[in-house]
Amino acid sequence: MMRAEDTPPAREQDARVPGAAKARLGAALARFLFRLRQDWQVYLLLAPTVIWILVFLYKPMYGLQIAFKDYSIFRGIEGSPWIGFEHFETLFASDQFVRAVWNTIKISALSLLIGFPMPIILALMFNEILKDTFKRTAQTIVYLPHFISSVIIAGIVITAFSPSAGIVNTFLQWLGLEPVYFLTKPEWFRPIFVGTTIWQEAGFQSIVFLAAIAGVNPSLYESAVVDGASRWQMMWKITIPSIMPTIIIMLIIRIGNLMEVSFEMIILLYQPATYETADVVNTFIYRQGIVGGQYDLAAAAGLFNAVVAFVLVMTANTISKRLSRTSLW
Amino acid sequence: MSGVQLDGIIKEYGAIRVVHGVDLQIKDKEFVVLVGPSGCGKSTCLRMVAGLEEISGGTLTIDGRVVNRVAPKDRDVAMVFQNYALYPHLDVAENIAFGLRIRKVPKEQIAQSVKEVAEILGLTPYLERRPADLSGGQRQRVAMGRAIVRHPKVFLFDEPLSNLDAKLRTQMRAEIKRLHKRLGVTSLYVTHDQTEAMTLADRIVVLANGRIEQIGTPMELFNNPINTFVAGFIGSPPMNQLKGVVEAGQGAPVARVADQLITLPPLKELQNAVGREIIVGIRPEHVTLDNGKPGTPVRVDLDLVETLGSEALLHATISDTPFVVKVETHDGVDHLSGVDQFHFQTDRIKVFDGQTQKAYGYTAGEGA
Ligand SMILES: Nc1ncnc2c1ncn2[C@@H]1O[C@H](COP(=O)(O)OP(=O)(O)O)[C@@H](O)[C@H]1O
Ligand SMILES: [Mg+2]
Repeated sequence: MMRAEDTPPAREQDARVPGAAKARLGAALARFLFRLRQDWQVYLLLAPTVIWILVFLYKPMYGLQIAFKDYSIFRGIEGSPWIGFEHFETLFASDQFVRAVWNTIKISALSLLIGFPMPIILALMFNEILKDTFKRTAQTIVYLPHFISSVIIAGIVITAFSPSAGIVNTFLQWLGLEPVYFLTKPEWFRPIFVGTTIWQEAGFQSIVFLAAIAGVNPSLYESAVVDGASRWQMMWKITIPSIMPTIIIMLIIRIGNLMEVSFEMIILLYQPATYETADVVNTFIYRQGIVGGQYDLAAAAGLFNAVVAFVLVMTANTISKRLSRTSLW
Repeated sequence: MSGVQLDGIIKEYGAIRVVHGVDLQIKDKEFVVLVGPSGCGKSTCLRMVAGLEEISGGTLTIDGRVVNRVAPKDRDVAMVFQNYALYPHLDVAENIAFGLRIRKVPKEQIAQSVKEVAEILGLTPYLERRPADLSGGQRQRVAMGRAIVRHPKVFLFDEPLSNLDAKLRTQMRAEIKRLHKRLGVTSLYVTHDQTEAMTLADRIVVLANGRIEQIGTPMELFNNPINTFVAGFIGSPPMNQLKGVVEAGQGAPVARVADQLITLPPLKELQNAVGREIIVGIRPEHVTLDNGKPGTPVRVDLDLVETLGSEALLHATISDTPFVVKVETHDGVDHLSGVDQFHFQTDRIKVFDGQTQKAYGYTAGEGA
């Protein structure tokens, strides 16, 4: 809504005149109030989102300072003394935290590697189903787990892998193998966790890609059919390149969320026996901060997580902008 | 020899029939234009020839081979789409090469073909651009290039110019015509624009509601329309049509249109036809402001004069029926606003039956 005539005249010249800064501020304020009066309906529509962001995203940032303070609830945020990076030093000296960082990276990398292509593959497969009723049924079946509470999903997984009555072990025994208590084995945690989250979310995530596929101009396919392309060729040469911008945007978002491993699912599936591979930064924060009452240390861990996520999303965006002319911003 | 033959071609969507038995024979190297109002089934016919729609009934023959059940890729046809159907992620060269790549043509041969086609179409400077960086006309040319490069037996065009502005359309029209002369490939071209049909076609097929109304050369259709529909569709502005009743005249038959009498040509259907309802048709070009040729003066209410430059259109009403006349402007246009009478040249008048809408005195193949 910036209009040329709104720009204050001769901004450069009066920059050194005493009081000019104050006058400029006044002019800016007057301009803002003028716009507010003119387009107040628009600002009214914007208000709820701005308020939500301020209250739930920006106000908590005030509390972030406790990451650099020796915080106690009795002294309060203001009253607690500054201690600099001491908490960060403690964290990186702690085997548990370093382990949690590595676990987060490993689980995330595995999720990204297997979990990211999955919804794309599903969407491409749905797109190849010609019979409408079959297509709709298949879609509903893979969307379903998304609408089931994580607690129930975890319950299903725990039951399925249970050593006594679980279907997996029953099958193993049927093959003549020894039953395995999967959920107590650190080496099994990652595959089970990644598999579970894919099962839960891949179908639902495929909707975005299906929508992108639906947006491809149908005459591209018709033209290819007349040219003699097979369905396989059309998928590789038309569908995938056409939805590539969507894939890249989703990948950037995904990379930005890399440090946010599905926290509740870990809490529901892990146990002290599997902490070795299962404990991630978020669960570490939860145990130290909420359970253990070390709010300042937990805040430092959380801040570290956020900074890493921020760097990741910036990097992904920049690389994508360079390589494919597609970017989030 | 790459003719296309449609015998009683029918298309049904469920219980709804949209193409009702189309018979058409396109000769080798011929340029046939399928024209008709929107929704009459032109695209459906074309897509059946391409193999993009299943044929519900009848026989389709391309180059002497029945292809009803042959896959599109094995029909050896190429199609140009209205929205160009260019691949946005490929550059011009890759777009043109797409069909050849799919067919696994050797690389050097593809490069050679693309180069030739680009030269024919004047696309050589743009080979590395993406479609998004091209103008409408250039995109259109790339779409043509994609078709040409495969050397198909038949070209199919579905309204290829309707996304272009008027000036570019005229230009591309001429280019398509030139290209057809040069390559001589059998072509079936669909459009709703009668000007395009008239300028491009060796023969025009007028389609309405899924049925062929008339097939003929542009001049046949212009001079000798089979019914009021074709008369009203071909020509710009279209033929004027006035409802009337046959009356006994002195020597020649006459029509009473409201309170005026108009002398008609001596057609055999008009003998002993007094009292029959007819439609008097005359083209805007065939009405004069009185030049002494045999005819009838008709009183009119002039409504509006549109000056086009070398010509002017006079919009008038004759007993409340709108009527358009095209006159040349070499005498200036000032006197035109005072016109209150048109002169109908008797030998230019077409007479149609009031009931069947069919032309009297029609013989196929006349007026070419
Ligand atoms: N897939 C379809 N299902 C049902 N009716 C259709 C379908 N495609 C086209 N039609 C109908 O067929 C008729 C002819 O369509 P079309 O060939 O596209 O007309 P046009 O002459 O404008 O190209 C129209 O009445 C249209 O509604
Ligand atoms: Mg059409």
